[in-house]
Amino acid sequence: MNDINSFLSRLNSIINFSTILPKIILIVGLITIVITDLVNKGKNANFLYKIFLISTLVSMGILFYQLISVIAFEDLYTNNTFNNLFRFFILICSFISVLLSVDYVLCSKISLVEFPLFKISAGLGGMILSCATNLITIYVSLEFLALSSCFLSGYTKRDIRSNEASMKFLLMSGASSSSLLNDFSLLYGFSDGQVQLDNIIDKILFSQYIPIICISAAFILAGTAFKLSLFPFHQWTPDVYEGSPTPVVAFFSVTSKVAALCLFTRLFRLIFPYLSNEWHIVVELLAISSMILGNLIVVTQRSFKRMLAYSSISQIGYVMIGILAADLENGYASMITYRFIYIFMNLGTFARITPFSLRTGSDNIKDYAGLYMKDPVLTFSLVLCLLSLGGIPPLSGFFGKLYLFWHGWKAGLYLSVTVALVTSVISIFYYLKIIKLMLTKTTNLVDTLKTYENQKSLVSSIISTKLKSSVEMAMILCALASTLSGLFMDPIIKITRNTFF
Amino acid sequence: MNLSELIHEFILALIEPGILVGSIGTVSFINTANSAFSLGLVFTCISLLYFALNADFIAAAQLLVYVGAINVLIVFAVMITDQSVSSDSEKRGIGYFTALGACSILFLTIVCIFHKINDFYSSSIHQSEYLKLNLFEQNDVQNIGYQLLNKFLVPFELASLLLLVALVGAINPARDEDEGKDIAENQKKSFVSSTSPRDKSSFF
Repeated sequence: MNDINSFLSRLNSIINFSTILPKIILIVGLITIVITDLVNKGKNANFLYKIFLISTLVSMGILFYQLISVIAFEDLYTNNTFNNLFRFFILICSFISVLLSVDYVLCSKISLVEFPLFKISAGLGGMILSCATNLITIYVSLEFLALSSCFLSGYTKRDIRSNEASMKFLLMSGASSSSLLNDFSLLYGFSDGQVQLDNIIDKILFSQYIPIICISAAFILAGTAFKLSLFPFHQWTPDVYEGSPTPVVAFFSVTSKVAALCLFTRLFRLIFPYLSNEWHIVVELLAISSMILGNLIVVTQRSFKRMLAYSSISQIGYVMIGILAADLENGYASMITYRFIYIFMNLGTFARITPFSLRTGSDNIKDYAGLYMKDPVLTFSLVLCLLSLGGIPPLSGFFGKLYLFWHGWKAGLYLSVTVALVTSVISIFYYLKIIKLMLTKTTNLVDTLKTYENQKSLVSSIISTKLKSSVEMAMILCALASTLSGLFMDPIIKITRNTFF
Repeated sequence: MNLSELIHEFILALIEPGILVGSIGTVSFINTANSAFSLGLVFTCISLLYFALNADFIAAAQLLVYVGAINVLIVFAVMITDQSVSSDSEKRGIGYFTALGACSILFLTIVCIFHKINDFYSSSIHQSEYLKLNLFEQNDVQNIGYQLLNKFLVPFELASLLLLVALVGAINPARDEDEGKDIAENQKKSFVSSTSPRDKSSFF
């Protein structure tokens, strides 16, 4: 009994002491995948995916354990609730998006091994970005995330659109991170050689260098707004989303946005507190334009993935309101809650599109007509997720938006909240149009849907039952989360409240 | 001027024309391979300049990265593309003069800034402060190594992982897919017959 106690206490101290233990587990998983593939010579791909899932689950468990116990500080990271929440989100995103990508990768005859490798490395980059307080760590992890996402988006190399998507992504992310690096060098120079973010604030003399600080704020905005796809920097989003393979789009529509949000919030909050009026106005302007642009262009789209790209642009506009509305007693609760709910809504929508596009090979919205007759489960869960994205009352998207806009109104951002409400209504219109298309029974089905039944039975007989059900597991998980999270809103808000720094 | 400053000036006077000649050669040679090689000359002279400015780590990094990797890549790419000698570019349109104007304005700005900084630091007060900084006695490489493994350990290890992922990602689009295809074929033989709607669609 004594031995068990002392062993448990030692284990406790190890887990609590090492704040980078979740990342170490991910790194171990990455190396294991590479070595396993080398040994097995390409066979037995399910095992690789299981390694990935297990390592993600283990590091999620450890992170959760650290969240609820006392944690030690380290030099390169500070370990407050803000960081931990974001790391947790990124792990959830990685986990669910791998669940829905297994089927796709097997069916599309591309090589299997590098996919979980890139996903782990992108998740790792995102996690380290979430808790980096050092300019150099921020830059290296941002590049890690960007490179892995770029490789993922170019993964189906026989598809020309995938090549185009990864080219665009690489070039634009290179341009934006060079602007970010320029800004970091400005900050480094003006704070007399300090690299830690806390030390930078101490040393910058605001009285002398205000024009330069404004210039550096502009550069940081240009660098981070690319990843967030805010208004003038959103041009890459539709093309990259349309060209990349669907599970990859699912992955980096949530993961890189979560990590970029964390970076954006931390940089602006820590470095420019005295300039808060100026950058508030600029971010508000960008948020309003993103919302208007995203929701107006989404009406004209014919491809489902492009539509989701524009809708994610507008969702970022809403989230920016949450950033601007942060104050002392609530922290960034509204933004983080909405982000959490958005992960499930978005991943749920992609979890429905992926099997549909696998079975019919088409991405057009018109081909979804009459889906209700062929596959009621898919239709119903897609309906739930789309309604949640739009913000219809009993679903959790409504509660997230309500909390966000209420916070924004309280903080005095009247114009932004009004524009957000109007554009939400426009987006509801568009989602309802798709839902109506799916639910109406048409007498002459589209060609692609006629073959739907055949494809489905063949797919399920060839791939083993374990893999087939992974996509459905992801679907059901996301559907449940996007409906029921609204009921659990209060505990979620309580957890996310303590995040102001 | 004493002897060490004289030697310093002499070395700088050797290196700078090298940079100038190399950069003029890069932009005005018609044969692209010649201009790639003169780019290599520019990079080498820049790294010699870093040696003369007592930044040995950066000089070594410049030689390894720029001359050894980037320039070699450029020469390689130039030699692989089989191009004829480019046609005459004697017509100097509006773009030429715009670029000339922009570059000369930039040049004048930089010269003015350097003069101002020179005047600022030439006054005696700042010179004594500058000498107090005692920069010449630090061993740069040792300091950098120490910092890399202590303060910047996480970015250092992360950069090595980044290299691994970049290698895998660079090889992935470029390699032959025969092995993968065989295994995939074995796994779904009966799927081949019914892939026609999928193959015809524009999705894949």
